[in-house]
Amino acid sequence: MDKIGLYLGCLIPTEQYAYELAIREVLPELGLELVDIEEPACCGAPLRHINLSLTMYLSARNMALFEKEGLDILAPCPYCHQALSEVKDVMKKNPALKKKVNSYLKEEGLEYKGTIEHYHLLDLLHDQIGIDKIKKHVKKPLEGLNIAAHYGCHLIRPNDIPRPDDSENPQKLETLLKAIGAESDYYNEKLNCCGAHILLNESESALTKTGQKLEAVQNHGFDGMTTMCPWGQRMFDAKQDSAGQTVGASLSVPVIYYIQLLGLALGKEPEALGLHLNKSPVGKLSSKEEV
Amino acid sequence: MARIGVFICHCGTNIAGVVDVEDVVRYASELDDVIFATDYKYMCSDPGGRVIKDAIKEYDLDKVVVAACSPRMHEPTFQAVITDEGVNPYCLEMANIREHCSWVHKDEKKEATLKAKDLVSMAVAKAGLLEPLESYSKDVVHDALVIGGGIAGIQASLDLAESGCKVYLVEREPSIGGRMAQLDKTYPTLDCSSCILTPKMMDVSRNPNIELYTYSEVVEVEGSVGDYKVKVKRKPTYVDWDKCNGCGECALVCRMKGKIPDEFNEGLGKRSAIYVPFQQAVPLKYTIDPSKCLMLLSGKCGDSPPCKDVCTLDAIDYEQEEEIIELNVGAIIAATGYDLLDANEMYEYGYNHSPDIITNLEFERLICSSGPTGGEIKRLSDDGEVKSVSFILCVGSRDKDLKEYCCRIGCMGALKHAYLLKEHLGDDLEINICYTDIRSFGKGYEEFYRRIRDTGTNFMRGRPSEIRTMKDGKLNFDIFDTATQKLFQVTSDIVVLVPALIPREGSDDIGRMLRISRGADDFFLESHPKLKPVDTSTDGIFIAGCCQGPKDIPDVVAQASGAASRANTILSKDTLESVSTVAVVNEDLCSGCGICAPVCDYGAIEIVEVEGEESKKIAEVDVALCKGCGACASACPSGAMEQKGFKCEQLSAMIRAVSKQVE
Amino acid sequence: MSIVDLTSMAEPEGNQQAKVDEIIKGLREDLSHDCYQCGKCTSGCEAFILTELEPHKVMALSKSGFIDELLNSSEIWTCVTCLKCKERCPQDLAPVDVIFALKNIAVVSGKQIDSGYSNMLQAVLGTGFIQSPKEVVDRENNAVTRDALGLPPMKGPAEIPKLQQVLMKAATETLR
Repeated sequence: MDKIGLYLGCLIPTEQYAYELAIREVLPELGLELVDIEEPACCGAPLRHINLSLTMYLSARNMALFEKEGLDILAPCPYCHQALSEVKDVMKKNPALKKKVNSYLKEEGLEYKGTIEHYHLLDLLHDQIGIDKIKKHVKKPLEGLNIAAHYGCHLIRPNDIPRPDDSENPQKLETLLKAIGAESDYYNEKLNCCGAHILLNESESALTKTGQKLEAVQNHGFDGMTTMCPWGQRMFDAKQDSAGQTVGASLSVPVIYYIQLLGLALGKEPEALGLHLNKSPVGKLSSKEEV
Repeated sequence: MARIGVFICHCGTNIAGVVDVEDVVRYASELDDVIFATDYKYMCSDPGGRVIKDAIKEYDLDKVVVAACSPRMHEPTFQAVITDEGVNPYCLEMANIREHCSWVHKDEKKEATLKAKDLVSMAVAKAGLLEPLESYSKDVVHDALVIGGGIAGIQASLDLAESGCKVYLVEREPSIGGRMAQLDKTYPTLDCSSCILTPKMMDVSRNPNIELYTYSEVVEVEGSVGDYKVKVKRKPTYVDWDKCNGCGECALVCRMKGKIPDEFNEGLGKRSAIYVPFQQAVPLKYTIDPSKCLMLLSGKCGDSPPCKDVCTLDAIDYEQEEEIIELNVGAIIAATGYDLLDANEMYEYGYNHSPDIITNLEFERLICSSGPTGGEIKRLSDDGEVKSVSFILCVGSRDKDLKEYCCRIGCMGALKHAYLLKEHLGDDLEINICYTDIRSFGKGYEEFYRRIRDTGTNFMRGRPSEIRTMKDGKLNFDIFDTATQKLFQVTSDIVVLVPALIPREGSDDIGRMLRISRGADDFFLESHPKLKPVDTSTDGIFIAGCCQGPKDIPDVVAQASGAASRANTILSKDTLESVSTVAVVNEDLCSGCGICAPVCDYGAIEIVEVEGEESKKIAEVDVALCKGCGACASACPSGAMEQKGFKCEQLSAMIRAVSKQVE
Repeated sequence: MSIVDLTSMAEPEGNQQAKVDEIIKGLREDLSHDCYQCGKCTSGCEAFILTELEPHKVMALSKSGFIDELLNSSEIWTCVTCLKCKERCPQDLAPVDVIFALKNIAVVSGKQIDSGYSNMLQAVLGTGFIQSPKEVVDRENNAVTRDALGLPPMKGPAEIPKLQQVLMKAATETLR
């Protein structure tokens, strides 16, 4: 694989700039060309609360766009990735539905066939690019760091549709962390939710979830936490202070996208990886590691 | 030219109330080759049989058509009737005008009569082409094989031996005893499991009619009911059992002592490379584990192997080789038992995250006075004191993704453990039983449940979503109790998981060799769930115990006695008659393509070379194995394979007869 | 039906479960309602402890036809969609999908929903995305934009009215 279509969804290109910067900085270094396509839109997952049909249409629409270009998809947002996976799976099992979706797509001059694959960074890095290749590119291994892994609920569940890793015992992120020299302990709260989903209408409950998980990570003695999800990152990083206030804890956990950590290990400049945009004390990582 | 008689039964009003029987008689008497036709109120009765017999004599009939109920009901009755008059039993054809006609067309009498005529005309058309068939008989071997030396196999062997049969009992492990030997107490009576089991194991070893092969496996089964040829592999124990007196000095000096996880203790204890599974083992003879013995692995064990040095009887024999024994038996009982589902299948319950999260079988060894802790209940992680124990029921049972069925022993087992725990550790011990439904269905079980409810045990009606191991080693889970509508957080020292039961590892090989079908649950499938619970689809093969499905000890023992008794219905005979409607090959048409052989469920077909003709192959049917199912005949592309009594021309005649009516 | 809830005098509506099924149908081949109320979903519900969402009760109420009280409650809007209930259900059921379906039904029946959700819908209809590129601040409190960071301009649907039209159609005619 030397070329892949980049599908960023909504949250990454409108505010999670660090994620986008790091992806655009790091993946070409590993020999992967990223292609932006014309006219993408929301994956539809956030509208599922209101109307499931909107989710189905929008996911199919985006896949059809990439299919037209003959490109597999990299969807670095687990929420998008899960919507694409689910809609792809449903249309595979239900040809009548596929036909109906296509009758709508036709109005936008599109057709969904189901011929392309989509990846998240987790399986792209672990299975496609591969641990060996990553290891070969590492210039500054992150030795001495013990990083908590946060996968994101939608990245691993539900297991009745294809997900990039095991739903109950995912290990790929830990393997990726080890590949760049870091350690990653198991912790009981590893599979817990960040709360992002109810930030809109139940912000206190949402921030409580965020705070509780961060508190657990801090109490475990981790040096930081890594994510692969813009929603989780937003909660754990940008909202860390308010989450701490909500649960009455003084939190100081560096929270960093894995792709940023990978960039650091490849010897990239922190600024090029958007590290200055992380709100949590990511500087603690470099002072310990001296990257 | 056939001389056919047609006999139409009224079956009271069952048939005659719908079908115009007289009209059918009139119709039948005009069909080709029909010499005589009549009707009678109950053809299956004695006077009904007399009607048939008299007609055979009077009209010199050689083929008989009875239009009545299903042949499953009365074919044997009418076969006996015509045999009495010297007509071959296979010259009978039945037309089912009850189940296939009057019962299903109650409100369409006219059409029902037409259909009865069609059915009779078809039967007559076939009857004209029926051929007399011979039955085959063969001698029965009176010995039996029992596979599996758990309580099921033990009980079945003892029953068969007592009835005078010679029994070969084959057990894979070095000792008989099975799962029951691992249990501490048995519910609801709280008998000590080994106290009631050991005498039975001794009975087996003493019984002159039982030949015991432990550390042995069945590797090949050929033949059919009444005459099975079986190969048994006796694995080398590297100890001469004729010499070994079970003193155990060897195990004490073994260099691997205390280093090998002990299977009998579910890995909670450690054994030596030379071992007996447990002290009451039968036979009490030592075995060397070849995957762990330094001498067998590397040819060297220090300066000299201490087990050999210490054995005054010179029983150690590193050169021992495996031995294949050939047995000849008339019937086989499979009693291969169960395993627990790997608790890691339900990863969220953290089985591999803490040594204090254990299965119910591990708990049996922990609480048993002959277990690795001598019955002292402690945290396995740090030998710490136990103040709280939680039981999680239905781990992988009643689960669509894992095992859909109930394990049938989990609820009662947990109640028993609750009782024993209070007995061992006192009333202050906290016990939580997390259940979905307590199933206490057996005799005395509900009474036992009531007793436990009164002991201060916490019953939580719910199921945790995950179990966490905390920094201090304690176990922690949340459970929503649907009774109190509260979410409780529970902290325990030990969590006992009660996993689903699955067929014992390796039972699929046994099933394949014995041609036993398996149910959707993977367990051996009985012939009929209610009326033939210990028979299988292969004659002469019976099943007993948990290999057929989860069950507890009383049910296992009852089933084992049942299987022994069923096996005796074969073993007690001198000869067996086999079916006559077997497959037959037309050697001129057969090209030896081999399509028929794999479709035969009974292994009755072999593709053989024709003597004298090089490269010409044909199918050959072993009539002793053939059950007359017809699968091969329908698979044969050339029409060379036919089934007697259901030959192509016979069936075509039926179709022609009925299509003529349609025209 | 001859069942009455004596606390509210409500009677079950038989077709309500069908409404839920109708929405889930596109997603699941298996529409069985064989929940045996083991409660594993609620034990592990990430929302329950904070918001009192009880997935097992949602399953029971929707099965027996008492979904009005769910539609009128804010409870169904507190699901964090962690998906653990669906993942771990021993009967392979999906409380989370039922909760989504109930939310969809609430929207169709004109129940008051949080403005956050309607705003998101409006944004997608207007721009194709739930929000437009924001100006963010870095750790030194400097305002930055995509452009300032050297990121390429964000791409989006060219013909918004067309997209809007198809979306409205898909929403009302429903895809399943």
